[in-house]
Amino acid sequence: MSEPKAKPKTGAEAEKAFHEESGLGKVYDRRLLARTWGFVRPYALPLVVALSLMPVSAELLVTQPKLLRRVVDEGVARGDLGVVRDVSMLLGAVMLTEFALRFTISYLLQVVGQRAMADLRHEVFRFLLGQRMAFFDRQPVGRLVTRATNDVDALGELFASGAVTAVGDLYTLGRIIVAMVAFSPRLSLLTFAVVPPLLLVVELIRRRARVAFREIRTRTARLNSYLNEQVTGVAVVQAYGQEARCQGEFREINQAYRDANFLAIRYDALLYAVVEAFSSLCVASMLFWGARAIGAPAPAASIGVVVAFVLYIQRFFEPLRELSSKYTIMQSAMAGAERIFGLLDNPEPHAAVSEGATAIESDAAVSFESVSFGYGPDRPVLRDVSFSVARGRMVALVGHTGAGKTTVVSLLQRLYERDAGVIRLDGEDIRALDPRELRRRVVVVPQDVLLFPGDVLANVALGDESPDEARVQRVCDAVGLGPMLASRGLGLRAEVGDRGANFSVGERQLIALARALYRDPEVLVLDEATASLDSESERVVQAALATALEGRTSMVIAHRLSTIRKADEILVFHRGVVAERGTHASLLAQGGIYARLHRLQLQAEAEAKGGALVDAVL
Amino acid sequence: MADGVTDRDAKRDAPSPWARLWEPLRTQKAHLTTGAAFLAVSSACAGGIPRAVSAASNALNRGDRSVAVTASLVIAALAAVGAWARVESRVRIFNAGRDAEYLLRERLLSSLHRLGPSFYRRMSPGEIMSRATNDLAQVRLLVGFGALNVVNTLFAYAVNIPMMFARNAKLAALALLPFPFFILLTQAFAKVLFERSRAAQEALGAMSDRVQRVLSGMRVVRAYGVDGVELKGFDADTQRSLEANLALARLRGSMFPILGLGAALSSLVVVWYGARTIITEPGAFSVGDILAFQGHVALVAWPTIAMGYLLSIVQRGKVSIMRVAEVLDATPDIDDARAVPVDPEALKGALRVEGLRYEIEGRAVLDGVSLEVPAGGSLAVVGRTGAGKSVLVRLLARALPTPEGAVFLDDRDVTTVPLATLRAVVGVAQQEPFLFSTTVARNVAFAEPDPDAPETVARVRAALREAELLDEIDRTPDGIYTIVGERGVQLSGGQKQRVALARALLTAPRVLLLDDPLSAVDARTEAAILDAIDRVSKGRTLVLVTHRVAAAARCDRVVVLDEGKVVESGTHDALVKRGGLYARMAERQSIEAELEAL
Repeated sequence: MSEPKAKPKTGAEAEKAFHEESGLGKVYDRRLLARTWGFVRPYALPLVVALSLMPVSAELLVTQPKLLRRVVDEGVARGDLGVVRDVSMLLGAVMLTEFALRFTISYLLQVVGQRAMADLRHEVFRFLLGQRMAFFDRQPVGRLVTRATNDVDALGELFASGAVTAVGDLYTLGRIIVAMVAFSPRLSLLTFAVVPPLLLVVELIRRRARVAFREIRTRTARLNSYLNEQVTGVAVVQAYGQEARCQGEFREINQAYRDANFLAIRYDALLYAVVEAFSSLCVASMLFWGARAIGAPAPAASIGVVVAFVLYIQRFFEPLRELSSKYTIMQSAMAGAERIFGLLDNPEPHAAVSEGATAIESDAAVSFESVSFGYGPDRPVLRDVSFSVARGRMVALVGHTGAGKTTVVSLLQRLYERDAGVIRLDGEDIRALDPRELRRRVVVVPQDVLLFPGDVLANVALGDESPDEARVQRVCDAVGLGPMLASRGLGLRAEVGDRGANFSVGERQLIALARALYRDPEVLVLDEATASLDSESERVVQAALATALEGRTSMVIAHRLSTIRKADEILVFHRGVVAERGTHASLLAQGGIYARLHRLQLQAEAEAKGGALVDAVL
Repeated sequence: MADGVTDRDAKRDAPSPWARLWEPLRTQKAHLTTGAAFLAVSSACAGGIPRAVSAASNALNRGDRSVAVTASLVIAALAAVGAWARVESRVRIFNAGRDAEYLLRERLLSSLHRLGPSFYRRMSPGEIMSRATNDLAQVRLLVGFGALNVVNTLFAYAVNIPMMFARNAKLAALALLPFPFFILLTQAFAKVLFERSRAAQEALGAMSDRVQRVLSGMRVVRAYGVDGVELKGFDADTQRSLEANLALARLRGSMFPILGLGAALSSLVVVWYGARTIITEPGAFSVGDILAFQGHVALVAWPTIAMGYLLSIVQRGKVSIMRVAEVLDATPDIDDARAVPVDPEALKGALRVEGLRYEIEGRAVLDGVSLEVPAGGSLAVVGRTGAGKSVLVRLLARALPTPEGAVFLDDRDVTTVPLATLRAVVGVAQQEPFLFSTTVARNVAFAEPDPDAPETVARVRAALREAELLDEIDRTPDGIYTIVGERGVQLSGGQKQRVALARALLTAPRVLLLDDPLSAVDARTEAAILDAIDRVSKGRTLVLVTHRVAAAARCDRVVVLDEGKVVESGTHDALVKRGGLYARMAERQSIEAELEAL
């Protein structure tokens, strides 16, 4: 994705290159617009209605000065009170209708934009859910979140206040010109004599203003990220006594931010003032030429036409001011679209269910046959691993950190695709299974419990859209969670706070365990938590584990000696291979890796208890 | 607790919101005054234009050529002068708002630099950032937009309303009748507008929270097949956001048409009543007057609408300035209140701790800790997670509020050593290092006055070499100019630790406090780095917090902390012989080393 760039020579240059984010690109990209259209099409009806109302609204706008002219030329000039009253009332009605139409148009456009963007968001999120794990290992979460939220919003602005309304504005401008020319071509010509120089000046200011606004965006980002770092890294700043230096750096950034805004303020004020001044100059020009024509053979215009022209001129200049900001909105919408479709165009889907995979008769619930895997070509994790777990048996996976135990589990659940070998569940190659079915049959209790917002019930029955409350209650009681919650006056409906912060570590582990049992899996995989619990919770969790594993095919990534000893077979992983296997007694007798791991664990457990003991003695 | 005292102090001395609001305004007095003067000129010019238009069109109607020509030239002149004055007034007043924001933001950072851990425990970074951005923007809006519109409205009224009444009092009264309702209506609109845009923001926030949560918990989401449920939940979030945005759109979409309609109806009254008057009372009114009235109505309408908006800006500005003040007024819990000046050169670096007790939320994390390190000596602090090692190190460096009479540097109570001196003499490397979003080189040279000087760069490279990171960094495309941190390349935990260590080594302070600086570094690299630390710390006092016995063994003495108390202390050899906690740790780690070697 990132473009190759020249190697920065110095620190200062590297900083500069880093903070100057790429400017906004084009305003119009046919390919991106066509893709966007795909999401808008379902709402074509309201869009078409809004678009077709635009000329009506413009027509009503153009009619108003005409009516005013009638009040003046046909009512006032002829002293006809009836015409004054009737046309005034008509004018009122036209105004009301015009405002109602304006509201309808802007609301319809919002409806179209919001609905289309909701669909696009759905698409982005669905896309993300469909990517393989390796995709998430590479992409920072924050960036993906931005795609689904801010980038979609930027694209949606196209409807709320961008291109679509600009089209309407341009149409109105054209319509006003036509109406004026129809009244008096000569007066129109004289009036619009000031327009070309105005457009020139406005374009000049706008061009600079765009640069200034872009500058503001970069400097705002720089300002906020610097300040954020000062807040999160304040301890380092203080420890190194660099407050004054940082304050100095910040002053520069803060100043640059302020000055960029100063510039933008001036351009903004200029733009408004110039447009307004030209609007008055237009009126002046019309009156001036009108005056010069006095006494000429053909009078330039009636007083009513002059009045109408003054109003036209006011209306003419209003949309001119807005066009500049709409240009910027278009730019960021296109940038958003580019990022969103860039994401959607590079899928890394899950591996498909393969039809050709063979099934064999087997009495093993799980078997790995010469499985190899690496997270990248240069990062091999498992090499030629073979083992099997007989039905109803418990196998313990032990080994030092990084030996490959957790990877075995990831492969078994098909979160990652093995590079070589075959993994079978009940004799079936897991590649032939629907991943959803596979994950219903093989359930993992991870070390770090992830709780979702909602209540305990929803967390235990995770993924079940109509939870069976009685069953939730049963598994909760089975693992001892029910009594534990009850002692705090809580039940299944207890709300789970942010990441389960309102539950103790022990309670969270029990929820995770209950969650697994609720699914009543064929194979239960347990990644035993290393963090120590207080002794009471430890006792409850251990008892719960015993219940959970009873008579069930299970694989346990074991850290506790008590768990390991109970295993029917122990697989010792070392540097990506199964280095030793056997029962606790046979492995101890072997005096190899397991014997050392065992001693290590003994020490660690003794330390934990010993520490408390020493504490009690003192 | 220190927190409680800080809060009370802040409340007792806090000025009222109004006084607070006056502060940023006062700093900008000069700009605001000249800006107001320009506004007066701009308002006068703007108000003059409808009169001139009226005169010109009436003259045109009469066929009076010279008056019409003069009037049209006057319009052009007024337009030009008015535009200039308008630009100048806005530049001055809006700049004043930006300037006030700038000054407040600078004060905010200097306050943040002074504040200590108790403040940061109370206020999260997100909360602080929201005050530094959203709340400051509100204050700026008040000083710039607010001031401009108050003055502008006053001038617009002062210029236009008398002119209207002078021309035709009855019509003036009729045309201005809806205006008081405008103010109330806009204010009501602004209030709901604010609420609805917040609701829309919150809906978007909920949506991005979900995406964040699902993506970072992808393993569990997938393992439990929650994706379907989450997609449904996401769609519900989207629907809520859609509804919130449409509610906002309905309000926005109706607000401007309704307000515009009000102004339009006002001008309709002018047309109808004006035209009638011309017919029924000839000579009392003219077509030009209708135009003039319309111009005046337009000139009064926008300031009136802005007035209603302003009331809600003042409300929010008042809340915001108090939120900013909460940071500005917070009292630091670590300060130089008891400082006695001391020559940094006179400090040798001997450390002594006597009966140190420290509580966090009423629980003693350190209790009766005593230890001593002679100048130039080294001490290892070992113990299990949560034993209080990090707290001890932070108290030594006064990164936490150190109690009086418990920690001494060369027999001086550290709470009496000026903070600047203490930080020059005592260097710290943390276990969870913080790297800034800049180059590796600048992170290492963080405390250097000129990080780009060739001499500094050479020292940076040397420090990185000592931290066993130079080769790794040099292999990357940008070398030591690789950008790291939040928005740069993600370094591994061990790499980050080594950058932070290089940073500490570069300053070469008299006392070096290393808080488990190598916990994420593998054993072989660690050994090499420890050699380097030995070299660098020659002649310096070293306190090394570590969970590795091999590292502790290099220090002159070892203390073992457990649950906030010193449970063992002595040389490495003595402690191994003693057969206590330390000896067990040593045994466990030697097996780990064996396994590692297999």
